[in-house]
Amino acid sequence: MRKVAILGATMTKFGKLTQGLDELLLEPSLTAIESSKLSEKDLDLLYISNMLGGELTKQVSLGTMLADELGVKIGADRIENGPAAGASAIKDAFIAIKSGLFDLVLVAGAEKMTHMATEVISEYISYMLHPVERMSGATLPSLGAMLARLYMKQYGVTSEDLAMIAVKNHKNALNNPYAHLQKMVTVDNLLHSNEMEKINPMVADPLRRFDISPISDGGAAVVLAELEVAKKYTDLPVTIEGFGQATDSLALHERPVPTDINAVKEASKQAFKMSGISPDQIDVAELHDAFTILELVESEDAGFFEKGTAHKMVREGQTEIGGKLPINTSGGLKARGHPLGATGLSQVVELVWQLRGEARGRQVPGATYGFSVNLGGFGSNAVSLILKRGD
Amino acid sequence: MIPISYWRNRRSYTALMGSRCRACGAEYFPPVRVCRKCKSRDIEPREMPRKGTLITYTKLTEPAEEFGKQTPVYLGLIELSNGVKLVSTLADVSESELNEGAPVSMVIRRWTEEGPTGIIYYGYKFKVDAAYSMS
Ligand SMILES: [Zn+2]
Repeated sequence: MRKVAILGATMTKFGKLTQGLDELLLEPSLTAIESSKLSEKDLDLLYISNMLGGELTKQVSLGTMLADELGVKIGADRIENGPAAGASAIKDAFIAIKSGLFDLVLVAGAEKMTHMATEVISEYISYMLHPVERMSGATLPSLGAMLARLYMKQYGVTSEDLAMIAVKNHKNALNNPYAHLQKMVTVDNLLHSNEMEKINPMVADPLRRFDISPISDGGAAVVLAELEVAKKYTDLPVTIEGFGQATDSLALHERPVPTDINAVKEASKQAFKMSGISPDQIDVAELHDAFTILELVESEDAGFFEKGTAHKMVREGQTEIGGKLPINTSGGLKARGHPLGATGLSQVVELVWQLRGEARGRQVPGATYGFSVNLGGFGSNAVSLILKRGD
Repeated sequence: MIPISYWRNRRSYTALMGSRCRACGAEYFPPVRVCRKCKSRDIEPREMPRKGTLITYTKLTEPAEEFGKQTPVYLGLIELSNGVKLVSTLADVSESELNEGAPVSMVIRRWTEEGPTGIIYYGYKFKVDAAYSMS
């Protein structure tokens, strides 16, 4: 049975950058190819993950563009699955290699966002909602806010609990030179200071600024290879042990229990089944914390904690580095940043660094298994991946 | 941006026109072509009741660009009296009456307008019932 491994994996620094979308795809691709000890001509296929290239930068056919810039004439597609494009593209590369048709596949993802006003970005992002919700004025944060209000009431979760997630992710990002926001924050300055309304205003009650991931530019790239091929190039392959993907109703209002993200449950169940391991074997996880509340809910729905108990794990520090399950060691979407099409790839890049022992100041000692979940839409599409350190 | 299908589907937006599965009786808003529950395609139009209760809500102070003039936008997750749910803007809000379980009714209001053409789009919003507001 063919296995799929990761060779080079890298990202640009995320943040407000001067590079354009083409450079955000090209730069990490060149680095990933070089660090794989490959050259462009070795590639069999490439996938791009990107959500809003046409809307924000007036550029589509990104696959062709990158192939051209790399000087190759191989098959190339852009994968769009909202902000889960990155994990979807990895999934497609995995399938392409697994099928036996291709041995070496490049996945590059990027988004250029910070040149546009926040309300314009909010509108474009809201295009992935159900039309009746969007036409009623709903945005992603407003749906996150309603989920948060229901969840907090049901399980006794406080604004302090949510702030603790932001504080943890900011703390992790301080040790990640690639992160967008590298600023220490405390629960006290987010919720109990005189400056609270200025630095942390309400965006969609009960979610404040620091409950919501920033708008970022960034790119990331990953080279995948059939395992036996990969072994020719590296002593440290990281294997993809499994993936899962599931959808749920496009509209939040159609979900029987709005606080359950069933797509995450189903995608994660599939990924664990394919990899033959259980959630308690995972050493490090990258979750899709577009909003702090989502980190809580996903950590339960992915199978790590019982429903309604994740906030207790946060209070005990179990999701910090050194705890039972370190979550978002990279800083997560909250602090690493969230350039939509690059996000899923940057989760994989962080896991690869962790599993190779290259995560420096934020290293989880001896990490063997890594898990990621990448959300497309408001919980309507989820892709879970399980990675393993090569033996 | 309001999609062009607004005009084809406007009865959904102005009269809460949804659908009902003739095979199993399940009701839907917005209308569906295939029943989510029994997968039947035997579906008929069905107007939704215009009354319901507020399950939860939020006050959105950073709306999408096209709703910017309406800031803040109050949104509610509403359960209609037939059990069908929807997300709707809340109209004429006084914050003290925003409570889970508050009875709400549909009203027709301006949703948004198109800049250059000036076309105004109307649709449903929900409003906390007057009797509840006074109590
Ligand atoms: Zn039916």
